[in-house]
Amino acid sequence: MTKTPSALSAPRATVPVAIVLLVLLPLILMPLSAIFIFAFRGGADDFVRALSSRDAQFALRFSLLIAFATAAINAVFGTYTAYVLSRYRFRGKQPLGIVVNLPVAIPTVVVGTSLLLLWGPIGLLGRVLSPLGLQPMFAPAGVLLAHLFVTFPYMLGAVKPVLDEIEGTYEEAAYTIGASRWQAFRWVILPALKGGLFSGALLTFAHSLGEFGATVLVSGNLRLRTQTAPLYIFAQFEAGNVAAANAVAAVLATLSFVIFFFLLRYTERRGR
Amino acid sequence: MEGTSLRWRGILPAVLLAALFAYAAWPWLPFARAERTPPTIVFYGFSILADAFHDGIFPAFQKTWAAEGGGRVEFASSFGGSGTVTNQIVMGVPAQVALLSLETDADRLADAGVIPRDSWKRLPNAGVLNLTPFVILVRPGNPLGIRGFEDLSRPGVRIVHPDPMTSGGANWAIVAEYGSGFRGSPGGAAAGEAVLAGVWKNVVAQASSARAARTQFENGFGDALVTYEQDAIYDRSRGKLHADVVDPPRTILSEHTLVVVDRNIRPRERAMIDRFVRFLWSEEAQKIFVRFGFRSVRSELDAANTGFGTIAAPFRIADFGGWKKARREIVDGIWKDRIMKAPVRR
Repeated sequence: MTKTPSALSAPRATVPVAIVLLVLLPLILMPLSAIFIFAFRGGADDFVRALSSRDAQFALRFSLLIAFATAAINAVFGTYTAYVLSRYRFRGKQPLGIVVNLPVAIPTVVVGTSLLLLWGPIGLLGRVLSPLGLQPMFAPAGVLLAHLFVTFPYMLGAVKPVLDEIEGTYEEAAYTIGASRWQAFRWVILPALKGGLFSGALLTFAHSLGEFGATVLVSGNLRLRTQTAPLYIFAQFEAGNVAAANAVAAVLATLSFVIFFFLLRYTERRGR
Repeated sequence: MEGTSLRWRGILPAVLLAALFAYAAWPWLPFARAERTPPTIVFYGFSILADAFHDGIFPAFQKTWAAEGGGRVEFASSFGGSGTVTNQIVMGVPAQVALLSLETDADRLADAGVIPRDSWKRLPNAGVLNLTPFVILVRPGNPLGIRGFEDLSRPGVRIVHPDPMTSGGANWAIVAEYGSGFRGSPGGAAAGEAVLAGVWKNVVAQASSARAARTQFENGFGDALVTYEQDAIYDRSRGKLHADVVDPPRTILSEHTLVVVDRNIRPRERAMIDRFVRFLWSEEAQKIFVRFGFRSVRSELDAANTGFGTIAAPFRIADFGGWKKARREIVDGIWKDRIMKAPVRR
């Protein structure tokens, strides 16, 4: 009566998979397809026209650049923070560990208002900076600040578990042959971190690309200046231009599909 | 073999990423930059203005400015609920010129020290740039037989309304609803409050701006929408209106106030901005507003648009003592303190 492993896995998958699909259909799959249906309802020509408008092109490019910058900066800051949290012992380490993870739970709108109340012209620091001609809010810098805040935990979350798992002995071996902390990090830890860095950066990139709640407050929503792709979608949808909104939404959805496709393939390969 | 295929698999995402970055950064790369960016006017406006400015006013002024030897000029613009726009300007967005739905919002800017008090009154026509009456949108064929705001207070009518916290249009609508009862027969304050209370008992959805409320209504919410006539008839002229417009016998003519935010204007931009502001009251600009469904402050120009409805007895905010008084007595005193705080009876 023993069953072969293949008999256990292969044919019986149909029912559970069907159940999952049935559950996901109204929750995720159908809403997603609505984006594409409405984006292409006017035909491919309308889709291309909607996408090639100056506002849409700017919004997409601006969002991508912010996402690249956010991913690059948080890759450095996040990794360093993870390294410090994982390698050093100090007072207040636990509260710090909690604080850096907070952005996951804080509503993004609150992130936006807090940034305004700090850097805005009537904010705590802004009041000092504004007379000097420095105005980070309602400018690309403000959008970047918001995105760095909101996506900070993703890099950390991807890198820290890997760091925690790396055997301390390799690092110690490096020290015994005279490596500095930087050398040990560069030649021992960094190679092992590659996977975590990659997936953390992709996650950060994807989240930045879709960020809305904080951005809408700090950007000033100026077309051709500070309007990101999600803000463009919202503005166009509110104005009743469903086709224009959905053309950009379809591009964002496709991009994040590609991003997560690579992410999954990569993590699966490593898991094997 | 395994090694090479692995390497190839790593190259594909890298190439994609590089291509994505090249696309994103393209306009900012030095060799792609054909010319220096021309001077820019930063314009903020309330929600329904987007098309009239984007497709009408901005291109027309660009032509005028070039013809007068000013060279190229660009516009950066943002449109939202009048209250939202006001809050953004108080918070410090770089708006140089803003068209607000309500004079109250201009007062709020003055209260916050952003612009000198009553500075807009020194503009032509005391700062009022254009007008439009408040009307009711109903489902095709008007199945509920709605003729005016009194009918909206009947039980069972489901109304989509912009939110008075952020929308200037919503504030106009409140005065329209109250005023319709107040100026009806027998009329008076009690009748005004009764209509207003009846309408608000029926509000089923609120949106941050008049334009957003319209989108909600178009997505199938509610039986009726209270909104600017401009928004309805401009879309009707383009065949995009899937609703009927009801012209109430008594309704308000909204007057929209322009403000110039001096603190965001650099000295070398001064002449350009002043010219733009003057241009807005020119016959050419006023004709553009009429084409896009606004009523002009020069009423003789209104004949050019055959889509305007007939309002039997329109009134203005001045009939209620101006916005300061109306805000205090009608919006805050009656709507906010009495109607919204009344226990919900369903």
